[in-house]
Amino acid sequence: MEKVKKSAPKPAFEEALAELEEIASRLESGELGLDDSIKQFEKGIQLAAFCHKKLEEAERKIEILQKGGSDVVARQVAVKSDTGEIEDDEDMQGSLI
Amino acid sequence: MEIEVKPQFMTVTELNRLVREEIENNPYLTNIWVKGEIFNLTYHSSGHIYFTLKDEGAAVSAVFFRNYNKNMKFRLEEGMSVLVLGGLTVFEKRGSYQLNAMSVRPEGAGELQKRIEQLRKKLMDEGIFDPAHKRPLPFLPKRLGVVTSPTGAALHDIIKVALRRFPNIEIVVAPAKVQGDDAPGSIARAIRELGRPQWGVDVIIAGRGGGSFEDLMPFNEEVVVRACYNSTVPIISAVGHQVDHPLCDDASDAFAPTPSAAAELAVPVRTDLEDEIKYLVNRMNMALSSGVEKLAARLAGTASRKVFRDPYEIINMREMLLSDTESRMAMHMQGVITSRKERLLHIPDITMLEKRILMEKRHLFSMQLQAIEKLSPMNIMARGYAVVTGAGKKIIKSVEKIKAGDKVEIRFYDGLASAEITSAAKEK
Repeated sequence: MEKVKKSAPKPAFEEALAELEEIASRLESGELGLDDSIKQFEKGIQLAAFCHKKLEEAERKIEILQKGGSDVVARQVAVKSDTGEIEDDEDMQGSLI
Repeated sequence: MEIEVKPQFMTVTELNRLVREEIENNPYLTNIWVKGEIFNLTYHSSGHIYFTLKDEGAAVSAVFFRNYNKNMKFRLEEGMSVLVLGGLTVFEKRGSYQLNAMSVRPEGAGELQKRIEQLRKKLMDEGIFDPAHKRPLPFLPKRLGVVTSPTGAALHDIIKVALRRFPNIEIVVAPAKVQGDDAPGSIARAIRELGRPQWGVDVIIAGRGGGSFEDLMPFNEEVVVRACYNSTVPIISAVGHQVDHPLCDDASDAFAPTPSAAAELAVPVRTDLEDEIKYLVNRMNMALSSGVEKLAARLAGTASRKVFRDPYEIINMREMLLSDTESRMAMHMQGVITSRKERLLHIPDITMLEKRILMEKRHLFSMQLQAIEKLSPMNIMARGYAVVTGAGKKIIKSVEKIKAGDKVEIRFYDGLASAEITSAAKEK
């Protein structure tokens, strides 16, 4: 198996949010000089942008797994947002894996 | 003369045969439920089970043959109170009879309940319900996996709640049968399938809507409980129930009383997270603004004193400081603006929040520039002060250092003038 070289793992959303919180507290403490404050501020803005990006990353998509030959395949379906009903579910019964 | 009358008799064999025929053909003794407690229990290696059924006043031996007991889902125990369905058979050889069991069910607690309790005990001993095994659910799931009936209301509820909370969530449904004999296998298979890395699922909800105790039984089956325990991704058990928790609740990383509640556990509210980010950025802005104001005020105070004491000597220093700061500011601003521009180019819909942050940062920098400009000696000189230098560019600080006829240079904020002293007199 070919191994894909992984880049350093990006901070997860939760960690980024926690770090943002820390920076805000540090800035509020008034312990930092102007230069450091601006550096931290800049870092905080980056973290906020990262968090926003994470929130926008997923693309609304509903998939149903079903048998496709000997494999299992995902079939995308449309749903009604208000009821959560699947719109094209005529062959749902046969979709067990 | 005595006549010997031979009594009518039958042989023992005939007797036992008669009894046997009487008993085995008696409809009241063939398909009967007998209640009693189990004693002298033997699970024989042949697969047959032997025991004595007793109550306070009587006992009867019983046999539960392998072909009848092989589908039994619980284990008989010494002293257990049971209902036995069976018929009587007679051993002619010994003149004894026994109860031939076809089915045994626990008396008191229902059979299902009994089975569940036994399974619970067994799995608990194995550590399947160990809280230390439970993993935290992801804070922000990227793809939500769902194991439930493809046609049930539970699926609609989960999708509806998940989309309401996080409109751009991705959901992968592994459809499973949740009722009937093949339900346990189907549920376990679906859980395992969703755990495969190719689906990218980072949390699973497995469950069904409420139903009768029997309806929820698949979620008490060992194969399902184990699939929950062994799930490669954190799993939430979501079986609609009022009273009894199904066993899979305790083997999962989390559980909820309904599928909707499980969706709420799994999926955060996106606008809440956005508000949180906004709030933190706002705090940073406030903190930095007030910090800069304080710093500017302090610098201005110090500088104004020094400037009036010794204006010329610090001009160069100040000029250097100013230009240095200015160029750093400019570079910094340039960097900020460039990166913002890049972001504007690469993120198609920059949010209002980011635009506001950029505006506020620009405002901050212009405030800083103004604060530093105020400190410039040039600025002070522009208000009407000038510096007089004599021979060798030496600053003339006192009228005593000059006399009429001396050539001097006067430095204004915007240029230089040459002059000759016509008179000099010290003020008394």
